[in-house]
Formats: sequence, structure tokens, C-alpha cells
Amino acid sequence: MPQSLTLRPALARLPLQRSGLRIEALPEGTVLHLLAPVGSGPAGLTAELGASGLSLRPVSPGQWFAVGDAVLSNTARAALAARLKPAAEVVDQSHGRVRIALSGPMATRVLAKGTAADLSLTAFPIHHATTTLIGHIAAHLTRIAEDRFELIVLRGFAESQWEDLDRMSAEFG
Amino acid sequence: MASLLPCPHCGPRPREEFTVKGAAQARPAPDASPDVWFDYVYLRDNPRGAYAEYWHHTSGCRRWLIVTRDTATHDVFDSRDAAEGREVRA
Ligand SMILES: [Zn+2]
Repeated sequence: MPQSLTLRPALARLPLQRSGLRIEALPEGTVLHLLAPVGSGPAGLTAELGASGLSLRPVSPGQWFAVGDAVLSNTARAALAARLKPAAEVVDQSHGRVRIALSGPMATRVLAKGTAADLSLTAFPIHHATTTLIGHIAAHLTRIAEDRFELIVLRGFAESQWEDLDRMSAEFG
Repeated sequence: MASLLPCPHCGPRPREEFTVKGAAQARPAPDASPDVWFDYVYLRDNPRGAYAEYWHHTSGCRRWLIVTRDTATHDVFDSRDAAEGREVRA
């Protein structure tokens, strides 16, 4: 008997709308982990990724996430991995990591309750990214705009992270 | 107040983001005598003062660091990537 796999989003929730803050689960599209020798830059990657509708997020020396809202087909992902091969290895994390967006003037204040990373615009400018503990959960944090952040957490931690953010933002109810 | 450790890649971060492995010391040659290897594996100086240790930025960049700090005051003198100055093997 044929079996079909049903996609169950890790965060099947409506956005949380606070005063000055919105928290929303982003589409479970594509998250690729790129690994290259330490010291190599992203120069060889950006054009290929842009053509596939993916944006690059620095993770650590020689490592990036390439993320996008759309799901890449197996064929498209394999072809992309082959084209990136000279520059980086690709590990598909699309089902392993979940993205959450925080936006609004209170986003920085809420995140600052959970992380010791300096979130000021000078130390953490737009497009800057880092991995840090938010509460007790390791999360990858990117500043998309002055008042908008993207969090990437392991899928199994997504609900806990969401509930933490819910509580951390309760004062802006 | 959290004790902060400077990561050369991530900036100052709380101790909770790190895992400490212990003294960073030169590895003996593979054919060194058993006595030398015994000391390397088991013997530590445990000084009061400057001490170089391996720290892993587990909840951050996940790089191994060598942090030199004062064991009495927790002043950090130096923090660098453990691969710095070495050949990084692919
Ligand atoms: Zn780090």
C-alpha cells in the first residue's frame, strides 16, 4: 500500500502580535549548511545561491547557512550542490532547522533578555549574523533590517524557543 | 553577573556558551617515552595565576579556542582560535 508523508510544520501557529513586536514562523522552505575551508570567503557562493533564490547567512569561519522560503526539489538541490562543490560542501538542513522572524521596534529589547550578544546597530549591523544562546537554546541570529531579526533553531527546539519568546515579549502584550 | 569570555570570532560571551576542556599544552612526539605521555595525559600544574586552556564555543561559532586567563582573578589575557598559526588540515 503506498504511503504518503505528510508535512507537519514544527510551528503550526499564528503569528504573535504584540505592541511594537511581531513574532512569526517563517515558511519551512530551504536551509542548507555550507562548509568550506577556514579562511575562504563567500565570494564563490553568492551568485549561485542568488540564482536559486537563497540568501547567505554567515555561521562561523568557513560556514554559512543558505536560506529561502521556497522548497528546493531534490534535483535542484543536488544540481546546486554540484555547482557549489569546488567552493563548499552542502548539507541539507531544511527539515532540521526552523526559522522564526521577530520584527518591530521592540524586537531588540526582547532578544536582549535572552542573549549576551551586543545587539546595538554598530556592533550588530544589518546582515550581521551570529550563533548565541537565547535563554538555554542555541540559536542562529541574523539582523535582516534595523528592526527585523531572523532566528534559526534546531527543529526539536522550535516550540520551546517560541514559548520562551512568547513569555519574553509578554510585557508588550 | 555572568563571567564573560572573549571569543575571537563572536566577541564577549557568557561562560554558559562555552565548554572548557583543560590545559592547552604541547602534544609530545608520537614516539615519546611512556613517562612523557603519562605526564601529558595525567599531570597538571594547577597554578594560581596565568593558565592556558582549551575552550570550545559550543553554543556559538563551535570553534576550539586557546584562552589564557588568571585562575585567581579570571582576567583574560589572550583568546585565539586553536587552529591559528597551525596548518589547518582539510
Ligand atoms: Zn565564537
